[in-house]
Amino acid sequence: MKQTIRQLDAILRGDATRPELLKEGQLGIPIASVAGALVALGAFYGLCMGAFGVFRIDPESGRQAHDAYMQLLASAIKTPLLFFLTLLITFPSLYVFNALVGSRLSMVSVLRLLVASLAVMLAVLASFGPIVVFFSVSTDSYPFMKLLNVAAGTLAGLFGLAFLLRTLQRLLGPDPVVRQRARQDVAEPTPPTDANAPSVDDTPAAPVNSGPLERVEGLSSRKARRVFEIWTLVFGLVGAQMSWVMRPFLGSPGMPFTWFRDRQSNFFLEVLKALQNLLGA
Amino acid sequence: MAVATALHRLGMDADHVLRADGTSLRLRRLLLMIACFGMVYGSVMGSFAGVTGERFLQVTYSAIKAPMLLVVTFALSVPSFYVINTLLGLRDDFAEALRAVVAAQAGLTVILGSLAPLTAWWYACTGDYQAAIVFNALMFAVASVGAQSILRAHYRRLIARRPAHRWTLVGWLVIYAFVGVQMAWLLRPFIGAPGASPQFLRADAIGNAYIELLRILRLALFG
Repeated sequence: MKQTIRQLDAILRGDATRPELLKEGQLGIPIASVAGALVALGAFYGLCMGAFGVFRIDPESGRQAHDAYMQLLASAIKTPLLFFLTLLITFPSLYVFNALVGSRLSMVSVLRLLVASLAVMLAVLASFGPIVVFFSVSTDSYPFMKLLNVAAGTLAGLFGLAFLLRTLQRLLGPDPVVRQRARQDVAEPTPPTDANAPSVDDTPAAPVNSGPLERVEGLSSRKARRVFEIWTLVFGLVGAQMSWVMRPFLGSPGMPFTWFRDRQSNFFLEVLKALQNLLGA
Repeated sequence: MAVATALHRLGMDADHVLRADGTSLRLRRLLLMIACFGMVYGSVMGSFAGVTGERFLQVTYSAIKAPMLLVVTFALSVPSFYVINTLLGLRDDFAEALRAVVAAQAGLTVILGSLAPLTAWWYACTGDYQAAIVFNALMFAVASVGAQSILRAHYRRLIARRPAHRWTLVGWLVIYAFVGVQMAWLLRPFIGAPGASPQFLRADAIGNAYIELLRILRLALFG
């Protein structure tokens, strides 16, 4: 337990992804113990989402929704599942293309990287949990709650994927082209700078304790990075649609509880619909 | 005597907070400040329909709710603030950042407290309920601007050390305002309409500030 929390903390602080550590292309993140943290964080956010049904009083009957507690349980189980399934679906293609472009990341390294990114994502999401509960207590509007959760999920996803791309940059090391250019820079004497212009040397050295999102310049391996960039897009799209397929998480008022609903429509259409509902167009 | 000493100390603390002079106050003392000055403004705010008899209840309720509004909003926003600070590599400064945002809230209540006599005077001048609402909104706006300057003064030091603090500051303001608006809506009534009997929370308080806002906008725009 303590070990898991320490691991999670190291990922969030960036201790686990320090540039010095990653130069060798190794990522020392224990998958099993971080996965435990993922389940806990996801379940917590699931509970926060399910709280909507618990606090909502049906205006007609004046009572709580029928199976509010079942929804709570279902959301707590389904939220971690949503992330794991999305990973499961998108991981193989990522690994294959990563190998195809000749990146030096092994399969385990890629998996470690993704698990760490999910940890960032879920930690951000879980930190929004109290706010979601607060709005569940104080609002009746179903479209508003849907959009609030979509917004929280989007923000969390952006943080997680930014972490992924930055860590990748550190892992892959310098691009051959960049390296060559750097060597040239060293060879040529730098032209004298304008006396008034701030000298480059005056800029303070990078803080020792840089965060996990900080950009480390000069490191890139173009093709592999492109693969990951495209993959983040795919992950986002699959994850969003996955959340729709695995609904209900909030529990639509007036609909009986089920674990899953019929396949129909899609995430993006429904977000538009919720927006329209809210704006009353 | 003890009371006089405590009041003197509170006043000194308030002075430090307003000047943002780098004196680091303990969180406990900042929270005490929020409670005291918040109650001052809250009680004045709730005195619109009178202070005697049954109306005294509204004064008491508002006195409790004003600091509550700030403290609960703060508590709900802190987890996200913590995680975002950590992710941007600013965890080492977190204690200082936390003190900065609490100090800004303490400053907000001190400024509100200083505006309380003005509000009381306004209440004495006019019995118009709508005007009272607008005046209170104005006082809160003034206090918010003041609190912002305190927050920025604290953050200037942090940003000078690490520029990434700029982003956590923006994140904090967005999250805090987003939660705070709804919290204020939920905790109504603060002023207490003259006809209505005093109550801690409105029976119909469950609702969403943003949806109400949209409704009003729609009415204004499309009739």
